[in-house]
Amino acid sequence: MDQLIQVLIIGLANGLIFALVALGYTLVYGIIELINFAHGDVFMLGSMLAFFLVAPASSGGWAVFPIDEGMAFPLKVAEILAVLAICMAMTALLNVTIERVAYRPLRNAPKLAPLISAIGMSYVLQNIGLVWGGAYQRTIDSVFPATNMLEPFGITAIVVTPAQLFVAVVTIPLLIALTLFVNRTRQGRAMRATAQDPDTAGLMGVDVNRTIAITFLIGGGLAGAAGVAQLLYNNYTVYTLGFRFGLNSFTAAVLGGIGNLQGAVLGALVIGEVNALSDRYLSPNWTQAIVFGVLIAILVFRPTGLLGQQLADRA
Amino acid sequence: MSAAADTVGTGVGGWLGYVGGTLAAIPGQYMAALRRHRARTIGLTIVFLAVVLYPVIGHYVLSEFSRNVFPLPYPDDTVATFMTIFAIMAIGLNIVAGFAGLLDLGYVAFYAIGAYTAAFLASPHFGALGINLTFLGHVGPGAVGIHLPYWIIVIVAVAVVATFGALLGAPTLRLRGDYLAIVTLGFGEIVPLFFKNLSSVTFSLNLGPINIQLQNQNWTGGVQGINPIDPPYLPGFDVIFDARSGALAVYLGLFMLGIAILVARNLEHSRIGRAWGAIREDETAAEMMGVNTVRTKLLAFALGASFAGVAGSFQASYLGASTSDFFSFSISILVLIMVILGGIGNIWGAVFGAFALTYVDKTLLPYIGQRIGDVAPSLPNPAQYNFLIFGVILVVMMRFRPQGFLPSRQREAELTVSGLQDAEAELGIPVEVDNVSIAPHGQSEIGQGARDAETTDEARDL
Repeated sequence: MDQLIQVLIIGLANGLIFALVALGYTLVYGIIELINFAHGDVFMLGSMLAFFLVAPASSGGWAVFPIDEGMAFPLKVAEILAVLAICMAMTALLNVTIERVAYRPLRNAPKLAPLISAIGMSYVLQNIGLVWGGAYQRTIDSVFPATNMLEPFGITAIVVTPAQLFVAVVTIPLLIALTLFVNRTRQGRAMRATAQDPDTAGLMGVDVNRTIAITFLIGGGLAGAAGVAQLLYNNYTVYTLGFRFGLNSFTAAVLGGIGNLQGAVLGALVIGEVNALSDRYLSPNWTQAIVFGVLIAILVFRPTGLLGQQLADRA
Repeated sequence: MSAAADTVGTGVGGWLGYVGGTLAAIPGQYMAALRRHRARTIGLTIVFLAVVLYPVIGHYVLSEFSRNVFPLPYPDDTVATFMTIFAIMAIGLNIVAGFAGLLDLGYVAFYAIGAYTAAFLASPHFGALGINLTFLGHVGPGAVGIHLPYWIIVIVAVAVVATFGALLGAPTLRLRGDYLAIVTLGFGEIVPLFFKNLSSVTFSLNLGPINIQLQNQNWTGGVQGINPIDPPYLPGFDVIFDARSGALAVYLGLFMLGIAILVARNLEHSRIGRAWGAIREDETAAEMMGVNTVRTKLLAFALGASFAGVAGSFQASYLGASTSDFFSFSISILVLIMVILGGIGNIWGAVFGAFALTYVDKTLLPYIGQRIGDVAPSLPNPAQYNFLIFGVILVVMMRFRPQGFLPSRQREAELTVSGLQDAEAELGIPVEVDNVSIAPHGQSEIGQGARDAETTDEARDL
């Protein structure tokens, strides 16, 4: 039982990272009905940038913000925040650029044209990661101590590490902020209007192109945060990370009901748990097949996902 | 195959008669084509002769030429063989994605199944499990495992892969557009995983009369894959060529490619081909007109996949090995780029795309990399970043020439304004330029104009 809870905690932490990436998929799909295939690779480049910012020169990094386990807590927080800010800004800009270059010119093209363009873009970004980071896994030493956060409460059978707490501290505020942004702000309303009907939204005075660009900006920023969380929690990055992670997150978005923000988070947590349970109780060799199996089953039997509304002819 | 069944009835005799008739009609058709499209026919003839004489030209002319006159490398026999393999695949994907409009991002699954079919049926692999069947194959005494002759393997691979095509296609029948693409992608990832992971199967089932006990059985060879696989053995041909000669493989590939082109052409112009076009244009309307969409789509998946079965079994036999890691998502995308580059919906476009891209990938880029390496070893080797180039090709093609370099006229009409005008001019119908100005958001560039307010659905499903 303790072991199961432990596995679930690991799944939860990874699920939260998936959630940040899945939101990028679901935001973009919700607004322009495009599976942004390159999104996983934006996340990968975010984690790659984080690696170079954090890693010491001895392991090939730039050591701009060297973070190690032993440093003073306020300094560590400041450096992590700086890395987060830089990575989020860069991936947000990257995502907007991609939209401008590869998707906006195809806004009125046949529906599959932007999907194919996105696949091409995914390969471009993946190879940028390959040129930049090399063909091998880049690892850093853990920046968090391996202590148990639950020990002060007298629980020793279950371990929650500071790294896992860090993931929660980074992701949960972002998830809440995004929900508030979409539901409460003027720009959020413009996004929802554009998602419903871009032409009508345009007639009502919404700048559709700008709204779509902002959607990509937000999605890219979340992917950057996920990249930092991935690096500091799992301590590695590699140029192929985007494909695997991206498909996990896309599955999460589909599972929750694509276009639905809460659904994406829920789906991501489920996919995180599926990954963790399969890794532990079945075999890591089969995990990817199981995730794809979930994806296929959802698309075939319930294309609207767990929380999605009925969307005629979208599937 | 049902196309043949539609035109000539069933039975081997009918089929042979059909093939004979087709062959007999070729000279007459050729003269007619020469009268009607003189330049095009002569051009195609030159291409045809160049392809058929390629190994000779390559060995004796091009190698000298590339060494002494013009420093462009020529594809050697291995690359030429892979050109034919990928061309067969591109033709198959073109049936699914081009004719029927079903974007299949997991086409590599069928390639893998084809390759492993050959691996299972022509290697010592199953000897370890005590399954031996060697008397049919061209192997010496004492051989273990299953060894079937090459052509039987090709036929079995086609049947197996077509079955899997229909099986994997069946769950996707309700899906359209991008969801279909993602589900096929999922299958494309899962199938190679099975080949990778089923290397130590332990299974126990005891239901009284049914008692299955499997202990750590190696079904697929795991990461190492399966080797050695018997080479294609062609009785008689080993007199002309050395059995392992590269030129033989090139001709074998060209022979199968020729058959593939013939089959695909006949499919395109058959009743099924027209039904594919109809569901691609508008599935609902096609169904209203009496097209059985379920059957038509399943046939597209099965027949399209069967080409990958030919390609996969040929590749495995040619290379003598089959490993699961080879069958990655990249292969699906590579074949898709070939189809798009050539012109989606056009058989010759698919062949052209496959030849061009295989040449760039396997000959030109390594050559450039070598040259760069000679001059400045610190610079990156472009061969390592081939998919960077392919990714750019995809993005740029979608932006500027979505109909490809050799577009099918029908698809060009769907995808571009000028293509529509050409098509209509040919038919003598006045061109309606309305859809240029109606195009939403006022954009009417090439590749965007064909979609006006009324044609959204047909144009959407590429």
